[in-house]
Amino acid sequence: MENIYLVSNWFFGWDVVFEFFFALIALGVSFHSFKIHKLTGQRSPKLFGLSFLFFSIAYFIQSFLNFAIISKLNENICDFFKIQAVETLNLIGLYFHITFFILGLVTLVYMTLNTDNKKLYLLLLSTSLLFVALSQNSIYAFYFLSSVFLIYMVSHYFTNYLKNRQTKIILILVAFVFFLLGNIHFIFLINHIKFYIIGHFLGLIAYLLIFVNLLLVLKNDKKKK
Amino acid sequence: MTKKRNKLEVIRDILKVIRDKHGKIKPTHIMYKSNLSHHMMEEYLKELKEKGFILESNDEKHRTYSITKKGLEYLEKFKFIINFTDSFGLNF
Repeated sequence: MENIYLVSNWFFGWDVVFEFFFALIALGVSFHSFKIHKLTGQRSPKLFGLSFLFFSIAYFIQSFLNFAIISKLNENICDFFKIQAVETLNLIGLYFHITFFILGLVTLVYMTLNTDNKKLYLLLLSTSLLFVALSQNSIYAFYFLSSVFLIYMVSHYFTNYLKNRQTKIILILVAFVFFLLGNIHFIFLINHIKFYIIGHFLGLIAYLLIFVNLLLVLKNDKKKK
Repeated sequence: MTKKRNKLEVIRDILKVIRDKHGKIKPTHIMYKSNLSHHMMEEYLKELKEKGFILESNDEKHRTYSITKKGLEYLEKFKFIINFTDSFGLNF
């Protein structure tokens, strides 16, 4: 993993806020999904909640990592753990972020397959992690793999919409389209500063849509009471 | 043509039938009132029993079912459940 992102100076700090916001929304979705699982005992909300919990952890790590870079906290952490170079710590953090994000995506894809086959889950997960870990450029491999999974998720939600014609699903479908666009953008960011910012803004739109979706569900629940 | 019920809606219908009978109901009544085949009904009852939504009692002649607190909570929160699962595409 030899490339580190190039970030525009003015955006430095904002990315921490964005990622923290993503983490909080993902955590909120996860919490309510687990609540639905508790009420229904069904498998889909459990896996959905688990995947958003993994996303949330991935974003908390990313946010903390960027915060540590800005505040120079990473130098203190390196001193404490006796890590020689700050870059090593940044790479460790990045690897953790990638691992949790892949865990989230694999869990989400596995949920749509409607199977209880744990071997399939392990196969999907191990193949994905090995593909990224053994690639010459792990960041490119990660964003490529995420894009493939996100294309699958967009097509899943689109077919779902066509089948059921439920307007409620449109928000989440569009959110996943923005996730995908943001992810494809990240593939180019290694050489282009602007792409990092655009990628974050596309992610922001996606998470805002998910947030609105969640708020509408909670508002309807309150109205009923 | 009416829309086919999804799994959560079938569960709601079964639980409602049991609740409306004020506690105890025979499987044949559940089958007729919730509009299910015998095989499907048995599968649902097995799942609901395992998940703690209903209780099965057996006396000498009959097998009856009653709803639990968890089952009542499911009915109470059904709108929230269906709104969430529809909005996030968690169709069953």
